[in-house]
Amino acid sequence: MASFEGFEYDVLVVGSGAGGGMSAHILTEAGIRVLLLEAGRAYDPVTETPMFQQNHEAPLRGVSTSDKNFGYYDATVDGGWQVPGEPYTEADGTRFMWWRARMLGGRTNHFGRLVPRFTPEDFNMADRDGLGENWPIDYDEVAPWYDRTEKLIGVSGTNPGLEDTPASADGVLQPPPKPRVYELLLKAVTDKMGIPAVPMRRAVITRDLGDRKACFYATGCGRGCSIGAAFQTTTSLLPWAQKTGNMKLVTDAMVKEVHVDENGQASGVTFVNRLTNEDIRVDADRVILAASACETARLMLNSKSAMHPNGLANSSGQIGRNLMDSLGADMSGYIPALKGRPKYNEDGYAGNHLYIPWWDNEGQKDGSLNFTRGYHFEVDGGFGSPGMGVASHVDGYGKQAKNEVRDLFGTSIGLSLRGEMVQSENCYCEIDEEVKDKWGIPVLKFHWKWSEQELNQVAHGLKWGKKIIEAMGGIVDNPDATPERAIKAGGQIIHEVGTTRMGHSPATSVVNQWGQCWDVDNLYVMDGGVFTSNPHKNCTLTILTLAMRNATHLAEEMTAGEAP
Amino acid sequence: MSTLYNPKMTRRESLKRMGSMTSVVMIGGIAVACETLEPEAMVVDPSSHWPDLDFAVISENGYGTDPNMISPTTPWPRTLTSAQLDQVAVLSDIICPQDDRGPSATAVGVPDVIDEWVSAPYSSQHRDRVQMLNGLQWLDNEADRRFSCSFVAASDAQQIEIVEDIAYRDLGDVPEFEHAVQFFSRLRRLVFGGYFTSPEGIEDIGYIGNVPVVGDYPGPTDEAMEHLNRVIADLEEF
Repeated sequence: MASFEGFEYDVLVVGSGAGGGMSAHILTEAGIRVLLLEAGRAYDPVTETPMFQQNHEAPLRGVSTSDKNFGYYDATVDGGWQVPGEPYTEADGTRFMWWRARMLGGRTNHFGRLVPRFTPEDFNMADRDGLGENWPIDYDEVAPWYDRTEKLIGVSGTNPGLEDTPASADGVLQPPPKPRVYELLLKAVTDKMGIPAVPMRRAVITRDLGDRKACFYATGCGRGCSIGAAFQTTTSLLPWAQKTGNMKLVTDAMVKEVHVDENGQASGVTFVNRLTNEDIRVDADRVILAASACETARLMLNSKSAMHPNGLANSSGQIGRNLMDSLGADMSGYIPALKGRPKYNEDGYAGNHLYIPWWDNEGQKDGSLNFTRGYHFEVDGGFGSPGMGVASHVDGYGKQAKNEVRDLFGTSIGLSLRGEMVQSENCYCEIDEEVKDKWGIPVLKFHWKWSEQELNQVAHGLKWGKKIIEAMGGIVDNPDATPERAIKAGGQIIHEVGTTRMGHSPATSVVNQWGQCWDVDNLYVMDGGVFTSNPHKNCTLTILTLAMRNATHLAEEMTAGEAP
Repeated sequence: MSTLYNPKMTRRESLKRMGSMTSVVMIGGIAVACETLEPEAMVVDPSSHWPDLDFAVISENGYGTDPNMISPTTPWPRTLTSAQLDQVAVLSDIICPQDDRGPSATAVGVPDVIDEWVSAPYSSQHRDRVQMLNGLQWLDNEADRRFSCSFVAASDAQQIEIVEDIAYRDLGDVPEFEHAVQFFSRLRRLVFGGYFTSPEGIEDIGYIGNVPVVGDYPGPTDEAMEHLNRVIADLEEF
């Protein structure tokens, strides 16, 4: 058994976000001892979350800056689109944005907590259109794990019975909050258009769950949540794992290489202590990588050895390939009929209460649409806390302009398209041999190009988004938007997956259905890198679910003495 | 109308501000002290009708990637001169005057917000800084051209006469005022942004969230639902 600073452990886990946090929870509950390495600093939402702090208390009224890309109060610390001293590069003509959080809990601290499930068909989309690969597992296999994950992390929502919204088992979901006025107006028009608007499933609890308190409907979830209502690993999986006594957590530990023994099996890692800039080598009997899709791929590609000359467990050459994000495009407008409407507390639980799931599978199957994968619309608007953009649409000056700002409050509507892209040989990351970060670790270089599939999908979304806003009596802010201009950069939706995909065959995939590397059977990947495709349903729930399933499988094998 | 604006800042902050002035402001590529920022010292291209002054990026530190979110502080010193602050104060209250529903912009400290804003060491604030300082200078030039005095020294009616020429976006088509209209549009956003994010402004606009709700989220009030139902009933068939 390996040990570090006197702590003996069975499994070394890299990363404390969704995949690493769930792995650590499952293993420690099974009595397996875990050394967890996190690149960022320790972080405690209970004491560090700015609950109730208002914009006027922050520098620059809380707006985004290069230091805090999502605003002053965003939970992300020491991270964002750029991390000081830790660059990445883009190939010529490529625009890719890579969000990183260097903190305990990673990006779970600030994510949108939107947790829709994949559908049965999502696991087999190659059967529909011949593009990409089918998953090595199907919905029936994953469904019970979805139930267990949803129950564990706490999910509010409903089972509306649509093709795009598979049902959870009875008793799994908590009730969602009531929709707000602008969402009800949206629903009134989409109902007539034959387009569904249903409660968004969110990992925000509306009923107490263990030590975690039900949402009190104030404070944006992106700030993190000191009461644990909004799920993040730092108020749940990680403290639970620590409570077992089976986990040692080391923060500021940036893993730079995975070592192998003479048989090519994983034997340990070297990490940089970010506080002392010292390299520390630790042994391991088994290693789980969950550093995020691209960071895990980078680590494996940087771990070259005689047995693994192209990077660790990369005989398929697939590490870094098949990189996918969700595609994104935003539409907005203003609804004159909502001017001066009666005020009430419209915070709710900060994100969508209703959203529009994908509604036209039929059109794709009968060939009347010129793209084959779906999307959904997230909805925003309402009487939010006023920010510096409050007078964006106002002209003039004086009392008239001041009244105009007041009247326009709560009249805007936003629709954010989040869609599934098709995997492409043009979208991947690789090691940039010329650039190293401040720790001396070679950095990633990204390659990215949208295909006609994505541009056609965005064109459809722009058309229908405009129809919906106009049906609400609204005036679209950007009626002449083109798909090429509206589509967000690769990576910008922060749903990057696929770089160490699972599959049926060692020739075309990096890991098997259990997240176990084909080439190195004591090495596992339990982050979004294992996705075979990237359905438009936000990825975190499925990262958590696969990590729960696969860590449980590993724990069972270990308990039975069958694990490598 | 030339109100002397009293910044809502501590003496220590004032001293910090004074100390910073000699190093940060660049005009035409030459570093000058803020205190000497007088019309005579400026290089103005008479044909462009826009001062087009250049200002170096503020080199102070930002708040960094891991600031204290519980008790926020702003680390960079403010840089507007008292004359510029006075000018911002006058403009702020022209844009956002006191009325029967809320106080004026200066009553809630908007010029301080703008001072902090244009003094920040970030790129988008730097763009605003260049636009604001040029705009303030343009207003003084314009007042001098029309009335032979500074903007602040002009009468209320004279100030409004100039503002009327630049306060509406469609006036941006007039070549003479193109820059000034853009400046005023940006200033208007900053002033109303500062005002409606203040505690008084939040109350004025009617934002009543950010309070803990006990039990389930109640959703829209009856009054809000009645309004919504009327809106839905009035929607055109489609």
